[in-house]
Amino acid sequence: MNSLDPRVNRLPQLNEAISTKAPLDQFGTYEVFVQPKEGKPFQHEGIVHAPNLELAWVLAKETFTRRFTCVSLYVVDTRDVYVSPLTEGDKNVYDVLPQVAEQSGSKKNFEIYHLVKRGKQHVHVGTVQAVLPQEAMQLAGKQFNNGKVVFNVWAIATDTIRFTNDEEKELWLTLPEKKFRDASDYKGGDKLKEFLEKR
Amino acid sequence: MNLALKELLYKMADDQLILGHRNSEWTGFGPILEEDIAFSSMAQDKVGQSLALYTLLQTLGESDPDTVAFTRNANQFHNCILVELPNQEYDFSLIRHFLFDTAEALRFEALGNSSYEPLAQLARKIRGELRYHTLHANTWMKQLGSATEESITRLQNSLQIALPYALGIFEPSPYEAELIDQKIFTGEVALKEKWMAKVESVLNQTQLHLPDWKTITPVYGGREGKHSEHLQPLLDEMSEVFRIDPSAEW
Amino acid sequence: MYGGGNTFEGLKTDSLAQEDPIRLAAFEARIARGEKIEPTDWMPQLYRKQLIRMIEQHAHSEIIGALPEGTWITRAPGFKRKMSLMAKVQDEVGHAQLLYSAAETLGKSREQMVDDLINGKSKYSNIFNYPTFTWADCCFISWLVDAGAIVNQLANAKGSYGPYCRALERICAEESFHLKYGHHCVIYLASGTAKQRQMFQEALNRWWPPMMHFFGPSDKISAHTEVLMRWKVKMGTNDEMRNQFLDMYVPKIWELGFTIPDPSLKKNENGKWQYTEPDWEEFKRVINGDGPCNKERLEVRRIAEARGKWVREALKTPKMSYATPLA
Repeated sequence: MNSLDPRVNRLPQLNEAISTKAPLDQFGTYEVFVQPKEGKPFQHEGIVHAPNLELAWVLAKETFTRRFTCVSLYVVDTRDVYVSPLTEGDKNVYDVLPQVAEQSGSKKNFEIYHLVKRGKQHVHVGTVQAVLPQEAMQLAGKQFNNGKVVFNVWAIATDTIRFTNDEEKELWLTLPEKKFRDASDYKGGDKLKEFLEKR
Repeated sequence: MNLALKELLYKMADDQLILGHRNSEWTGFGPILEEDIAFSSMAQDKVGQSLALYTLLQTLGESDPDTVAFTRNANQFHNCILVELPNQEYDFSLIRHFLFDTAEALRFEALGNSSYEPLAQLARKIRGELRYHTLHANTWMKQLGSATEESITRLQNSLQIALPYALGIFEPSPYEAELIDQKIFTGEVALKEKWMAKVESVLNQTQLHLPDWKTITPVYGGREGKHSEHLQPLLDEMSEVFRIDPSAEW
Repeated sequence: MYGGGNTFEGLKTDSLAQEDPIRLAAFEARIARGEKIEPTDWMPQLYRKQLIRMIEQHAHSEIIGALPEGTWITRAPGFKRKMSLMAKVQDEVGHAQLLYSAAETLGKSREQMVDDLINGKSKYSNIFNYPTFTWADCCFISWLVDAGAIVNQLANAKGSYGPYCRALERICAEESFHLKYGHHCVIYLASGTAKQRQMFQEALNRWWPPMMHFFGPSDKISAHTEVLMRWKVKMGTNDEMRNQFLDMYVPKIWELGFTIPDPSLKKNENGKWQYTEPDWEEFKRVINGDGPCNKERLEVRRIAEARGKWVREALKTPKMSYATPLA
């Protein structure tokens, strides 16, 4: 190619004709949750495409936490998130959840997320112990349903999550110093003023 | 002490700048969007680290970072040849990232105890960035290095090409003894030993084959300004706008 | 970065007759109340289709939009500009990532969208089919094309679809860096040497016509979009967006002493800007593939896809099946 972009001029020629992409020429999706500060809850931020949980975590780090502040991050396979129905208006989702009988079997931890305003993010409210995710939601209803309308609940088995380990917390050490990614680093006011005064 | 220290700082800064520059060429061309973003962040880290090192050099009497980075010619650069090689396909870029960043992380780890305190501080500050770079590199190596015949073959071929240049990272320094005596740095020889062990331990978790180190002839020259034909065009490109008027503010 | 305008042509509203009237009424009432629509809500087919189309085009505009500025990524002058431009172009890739994900919640996979882009089936913002001849062109984009995009995106962030709003909220926060960075670059060119000033004036001359095209055809000739306005898919008319952009940025360009290449440009007493009608024939020609860089832009994306294929193939596992992202 004869391009103005020297990088493009270095690209190899494409030998094959354009064909339709093979179905699923893409990776699975993983949901990404970020904790902006110690003491603040984790919040859903979006998804990444990745071949597996470990790479999802590695890729989520720069996709979602290269700005602002971050102290921890975790990811989970989209299919491992158990999702409640979605309500609207003043209908609390906990009032419409189907009743589940108490299960026998070994209990495990579930992370519970609430959507309290449509259009906003799902936010972590706590952890419950249950056998099934349906049961976890029901328990969450008893513990975290404080009368405020909740439109949607997610329950995620804790053992399906790739967490940030303690050693990895240093990954965000220099984040506050990467000012070149922030608007605040581009103050042109003085230069502009000087220029206008000269004209 | 000054000459030895400057030599060390220059070669590290030049390595980081040139590889950061090379890696930034992938922006918008990566194999998946998320990897495109991650690779770009690491390129930004590298350029940022080079800036920090050139800034240390400025305090030692060298010119300002922009002048140093954007106006020298190839024979005045002290980077190893590995970092100036063209990106080629993603397999080569990944292998280079793995081999170089493994060395860089170990180098800064050692420098965390340097008697030259400003460098020790920098090393401690950026340890998180380096941890991410090696985690990223190791994760991809382990996965692509054990995936399909194509991915293994590609990485193996790139490994064969890159290894002689990677050994060039540790090109003997005329100041080696001085740096060690003054406890500025533990030296290239010690670094190389650690690096070889680390590279082996990661590659052992893949289906990639590491040739006997004794059979690999290192490619030297970069540290004393003798470069491949690829560096001068890279510098010409990098400074194209800057050189329109080096006295102008851009 | 994203321009409006090319999104809603050929809209057929008669398909609404097929929809369940009770659900449709509830859906419209929810939007009227100002509540957002989330992925698992019932929605009319037309809403889903138009949103996919709009968000997908927006995503394509970001990934293609990384190319004209990427042209200068290896040549940015000095450390500060070098790191800023790397971060800025990276953000465009990041925006594409966020937007493809938002579109995916509506049921179209990323691979299908990418396929439609590289096969020329989907559109993207027209302005990225123009070349960046000098560093100053790159600065024009960072400042003014991003400024135009922010006008669009701030409006769209008040739209009705939750995942798109969430993505835009994040995008707008990042765009504020782009805008300030771009303005910073242009202030330095303006207050610099004669050569620097000349570089930006020439870039402005080249980019003004595509910038006026950016917001899409004039309301007089563009497709009717009442239903999309009611559903808060489209949040303002093309002319409203264009006027808002002119109102905010023409004074800033003039302040720097540059000449905008349109002798008719002025603000009327009613607060509306008057300008020479852009050449809509050229706009159509470029959108339909005959611009200076259309071929290169798509070819670069095709090469990137082809080169990355072995990576994606290598790590595809048999148990991998497609899951629609949640939010």
